Amino acid sequence: MNMAVEEAIPRVVGEGKAPSTIRFWHNANTIVIGCFQSAKLEVNMEACKETGTEIVRRFTGGGAVYHDSGNLNYAISLRKGHRLAPDHNLQSVFHRLSEGAVEGLQNLGVKAEFQPINDIQVDGRKVSGAAGSIRWNAIFHHGCILVNSDLSILGKVLNVPRAKLEDRHVASVQKRVTTVRDELGRDVSTREVRDAIVDGIESCYAVGVEPGDLTKEELGLAEELYQTKYSRLEWNLEP
Amino acid sequence: MERLRSADYKAPGGKLVRIRLKEEQGQIRSVEITGDFFLIPEESLGKLEKMLEDVPLREAELRLLMDRFFRGTGAKGLGVSPDDFVKAILSAREEN
Repeated sequence: MNMAVEEAIPRVVGEGKAPSTIRFWHNANTIVIGCFQSAKLEVNMEACKETGTEIVRRFTGGGAVYHDSGNLNYAISLRKGHRLAPDHNLQSVFHRLSEGAVEGLQNLGVKAEFQPINDIQVDGRKVSGAAGSIRWNAIFHHGCILVNSDLSILGKVLNVPRAKLEDRHVASVQKRVTTVRDELGRDVSTREVRDAIVDGIESCYAVGVEPGDLTKEELGLAEELYQTKYSRLEWNLEP
Repeated sequence: MERLRSADYKAPGGKLVRIRLKEEQGQIRSVEITGDFFLIPEESLGKLEKMLEDVPLREAELRLLMDRFFRGTGAKGLGVSPDDFVKAILSAREEN
């Protein structure tokens, strides 16, 4: 259902029926693959069964990410033409809309910086990846922050192609990622990171963030998208 | 005789493009393009795959087709360029 909500919000924001929105959420053990990826190629199905990991496809491009309760996902939906993303260029969207999260992480003490195309890194290791789209009259950007995720499962359930690892001169996916907990050297909750990111967003973009619930329209659309798309094997696993 | 061909191509400084195609007598019968790139609008990738059917597996024809696809659809890639798609498809021809 989380993926369905993820799509419903920018659609409703794009129609002008909801304000610019940032949503925070997390999943239990799940691999989320990009819309152009092949589940068969990217995911170790056996390891998923063993670890009880689900596989879902999102509507945006980019690479597969492993979610567990130690992840913090954030999603920003703006109406097209918003001052934070005036030029409708996806690279600029990733850069600009990662800055709030970068500032939040820096305020916590993590030496985070945006790394094109779509990562937030600490000393060359990825702590967050982003994806997004420009459609439905909306600008959409979402990111997945590794707060205290179990990186050992991540290494098992994702098949990272050799071509990709060789290009980055690392031996495994585990070695090219890090977590907020590891960077701070202490336990940290997703709530603490969320609060830091909200502060980062408010100061970076000069906006106020107010808590709110999904509108009736967003919920209704999310239900429909879940039934017709995100609960279906043909969407999640094919090709 | 139909042959299955595949390749993984990492765009320099960009994303991974994975090609699985069926080739017969030097022509593409069908192709599946997957990977961790970005392409807007997202639906345009299916159109590209369709346009590639029955196209000769040769650089000149692929470049022409890619040019027609990007101009015709207004599609925009990030982490992948028209040239990367051509190289990825050609590398499937070479690798198998």
